[in-house]
Amino acid sequence: MTLVPEPRGFRSRRPRQRAGVGLSGAESLVLLIPALLPILVLSVAPLARGIYLGFTDSRAGLGVTTHFIGIDNFRALIHDTLFVNSFKIGLIWAGCVTAIQFCLALGLALLLSQPLHGRWLARSLALVPWAMPSVLVGIMWKLFFQPQAGILNEGLYRAHLPGSSIDWLSDFTWALPAVILVGVWAGMPQTTVALLAGVQSVSDDLHEAAAVDGASAWRRFRDITLPQLRPVIIAITTLDLIWNFNSFGLVYVLTLGGPGHSTELPMLFAYNEAFKYGEFGYASALGDAMVVVITGFLIVYLWGRLKETTS
Amino acid sequence: MRKFLRIGAALVLCAALAATAAQAGPKKQSVVNLTFATYVWQPTTVAAVNNIVAAWNKSHASIQVQVVPVDVNSVHDKLLTSFVGGSAADIVHDEAADISGFTQQGYLANLTPLIPKDLKAEIPKPVWASVDFGHKITGVPIMSQTYNVFANMDLLKAAGIKAPTVASPWTWDRFRAVAKQLSTNGNFGVCWGLRSPTATIQTMSLNWGGQWNYLQNGRWVLNVGKGEQKMLTTIHDMIYDDKSVDPAGVGLSGSAVLPSFFGGKCAMTIQGNYQGQGMISQSPKGFNWAMFPPLKGDTQDQAANPQTLSISQQSQHKTEAMQFIAYVLNSQNMAKLAAGDWLIPAAPSAGTLVVKSTKHYGFWRNAISAVPKLVKANWVSLVPYARWKAEVATPAFRSYLGNQLSLDALIKQLTGGWDSIRG
Amino acid sequence: MIVSSRPKTARTAQYVGLWCYILFLGFPLLWMLSVSFKSGPELVELHPHLIPQSFTLANFGTGLHEYGVLHDAWNSFKVASLTAVLTTFIGVPAAYVLARQKGLISKLGLGWILLSQMFPLILIIIPLFLVLRDLHLTDSHAGLIFVYVVWTLPFILCMLQSYVRGIPRELEEAAMVDGASRFTVLRTVIAPLLAPGIVVVTLFAFIQAWNEFFFALVLLQTPSLTTLPVALARFVGIEGIVRLGPLAASALLATLPSLLMFVVIQRWLTRGVLSGAVKG
Repeated sequence: MTLVPEPRGFRSRRPRQRAGVGLSGAESLVLLIPALLPILVLSVAPLARGIYLGFTDSRAGLGVTTHFIGIDNFRALIHDTLFVNSFKIGLIWAGCVTAIQFCLALGLALLLSQPLHGRWLARSLALVPWAMPSVLVGIMWKLFFQPQAGILNEGLYRAHLPGSSIDWLSDFTWALPAVILVGVWAGMPQTTVALLAGVQSVSDDLHEAAAVDGASAWRRFRDITLPQLRPVIIAITTLDLIWNFNSFGLVYVLTLGGPGHSTELPMLFAYNEAFKYGEFGYASALGDAMVVVITGFLIVYLWGRLKETTS
Repeated sequence: MRKFLRIGAALVLCAALAATAAQAGPKKQSVVNLTFATYVWQPTTVAAVNNIVAAWNKSHASIQVQVVPVDVNSVHDKLLTSFVGGSAADIVHDEAADISGFTQQGYLANLTPLIPKDLKAEIPKPVWASVDFGHKITGVPIMSQTYNVFANMDLLKAAGIKAPTVASPWTWDRFRAVAKQLSTNGNFGVCWGLRSPTATIQTMSLNWGGQWNYLQNGRWVLNVGKGEQKMLTTIHDMIYDDKSVDPAGVGLSGSAVLPSFFGGKCAMTIQGNYQGQGMISQSPKGFNWAMFPPLKGDTQDQAANPQTLSISQQSQHKTEAMQFIAYVLNSQNMAKLAAGDWLIPAAPSAGTLVVKSTKHYGFWRNAISAVPKLVKANWVSLVPYARWKAEVATPAFRSYLGNQLSLDALIKQLTGGWDSIRG
Repeated sequence: MIVSSRPKTARTAQYVGLWCYILFLGFPLLWMLSVSFKSGPELVELHPHLIPQSFTLANFGTGLHEYGVLHDAWNSFKVASLTAVLTTFIGVPAAYVLARQKGLISKLGLGWILLSQMFPLILIIIPLFLVLRDLHLTDSHAGLIFVYVVWTLPFILCMLQSYVRGIPRELEEAAMVDGASRFTVLRTVIAPLLAPGIVVVTLFAFIQAWNEFFFALVLLQTPSLTTLPVALARFVGIEGIVRLGPLAASALLATLPSLLMFVVIQRWLTRGVLSGAVKG
């Protein structure tokens, strides 16, 4: 934001002496209400009720009443192999996608801050997934992975590499890796942008001074860039983990959780429970369990931030 | 003066409004508006449905029907949300195996007192059994599907193999032998898309009397006995012993193996009979295809799992809705729908009409010959079936057909899964 | 930038790396482009080529007419623009409060912004569906727009309030000393300075609403109301005979609007994201 020049005749005085400049409680409320009301009605209240539903036997059915059943849903969840499976897949997915995304995005960010021809192309392409609905990303990669009319298998066939007849998205072993690849691709924008800004904000003077002192590119990266990047890295990695764990649309279009539940993320499992079988209470209990995991990620983030502010 | 004019204008306005209201009143009250949710998607069927509805609307001024299309890939989810949201259509198009859940949840009206006697008589008893949930009928069958062999007649002729006829269909042994014979030079006898194998496996095990679910001491159990195992081992052995089934196609959906079939990589393919539509629209020019009558084990029996029309319990006009259903399912209309979707109409009389009116005589004659072979399958009307199929059966069958599971382990998974879901 | 004598191998390695990235990022898009121009028979051939052998524009026509993609695009456009306008309208005053007010409310607000991003949608969707049902807003664009506004508000507020923070307080103070009311200050001082931020935020809200899938999937049932992402998911089909050509063409058409808008705002967007993610 550009700084606007000070108005004429202004002299700094202590704000407290100025009557009515700070926001009064009434004013704040009035300005906030248009936002506050919808948020309370359509976000806070449903969320609270959703969390509560996890402790009930709410289900679809004409004239069915809902009863509070305590932790019965959670007891059933622990013994539900499909639930455990979806959590396992969710953690594997979130971990792998975030880790690979981070490495690739960091590499790209470093490259983009070098004076290379054609980096505008790389930067624009890195942002494209942001502009596409997850459904479209799914469709695009589905075309890519198509076993008989897709380019991947054709490329493997021509290069005489193995795997040219694998139906990637239907294969019990390869579906999850394939889907992880797509997840990485779809998540490049936000990670690249965050890391790029972080890399570019590292002062050039430090790099120059270090270069003059004879430090190699790798040493400079490790001792100057990385430490300064720490807050950005922690922030974007935590956000990525949470977003990825909650992912739905991409895998819904790619595999619908198949084959045989090998790509069934928690959100997909919950969606099926709710909208296929009408088990609303059970699905909400699953959501509550997801919240616990996410809180875990958040705690790690806050701990990381705390360490950074105290160090 | 102005005041009088204003009052006068107001009075005239009121009078006009009252007059229109009075006129509109009785007329509006006598028109019943029904919504008809359907998932038909083939262009020919959509046209047929629209024509039928238009004809009805023309001849029934007091009962007007509006078509509400439903996405074919998420029928159950969409119907469930509409039931829960209280915005369900009056007439709902679904499938026999799918409506058991909705019936149990109370969303579908009991049609037993509403079905006209002649409609009841038209459709064979085994087909009615698939929509009968403890003497509560919640759907009217429209059309059914069977699994048939489609063959590339040029390749068969070149090998000197004659096609089966309705009078003398092929047995499974003959089919296996032919498939083996045609598997030479890197080509295969059969392309079989078994990504969703459950329906195929279960319905064809009826050829050996395999009903999968049996009533034992008042409870429905799952038994994988001789009849059930025969189908499983037949497919498995064809893939791994005979090597007559293209292994690359086993993980694909039915439609996805069509390119291999058209490309001559395999001489035959097993598909739902509706794939006749795919043959016509996707095959290359001059491709000589034929559909055979159903294969024979001990019998040619296949499961009756028809598409259905139901009335939602929340509907305010159930009698009118049934009138519309009866109209849709009269012989001519049923024939038009079936012809459009390339499915077998539930009423044999409609079947005769289709055969008479089509130019694909051979296909339809073989398709209709399956009507007497449609029998009641126990699993279709059981409530735990939907979950068992999606969560246990399909992944387990796929693992078995991918040679990652032994037969004994498969049986254990299937029965264990059934017991835990049924509870 | 340091002008050092980088060895040639390092530079070449960097170019190789850059072009590997470009390939990875751009190839799926290129393939979709290729598929959308191929004719039906070529698409079922067993060995596809990258460059279409039978170039055709028919797929776009099919997508537009037969699949009715244009109608769904119009639905998406309607919903997205109303969402964007409404969100900005509500968001500016709220962001102002959050930026200026140092008390409990703004802390709660910022806390809520962070938390609301984290909750799995499954927890919200069922009660939300029931609330909307009671308000008779299910299966309607109005209901969907309300949901989208609430759903995009957090990120918008995050970005806007950091923009507001960038405006010196002294300007408002000066105006208020001269007797202006709070609303006049907002209108005449803050809003004009916030203009670029408002543009970015409005376009961002548009893109979010345009791309959203889950809520639209569950809340909309009537096909004539569906938005573009849901319509496209419909075409992917499992057992249905899917025509890849029109699917790819429709998908391309669907990306264009948000892609164009994105090109416009990308510079400001990245700045906004950073201030939100790192400082917020």
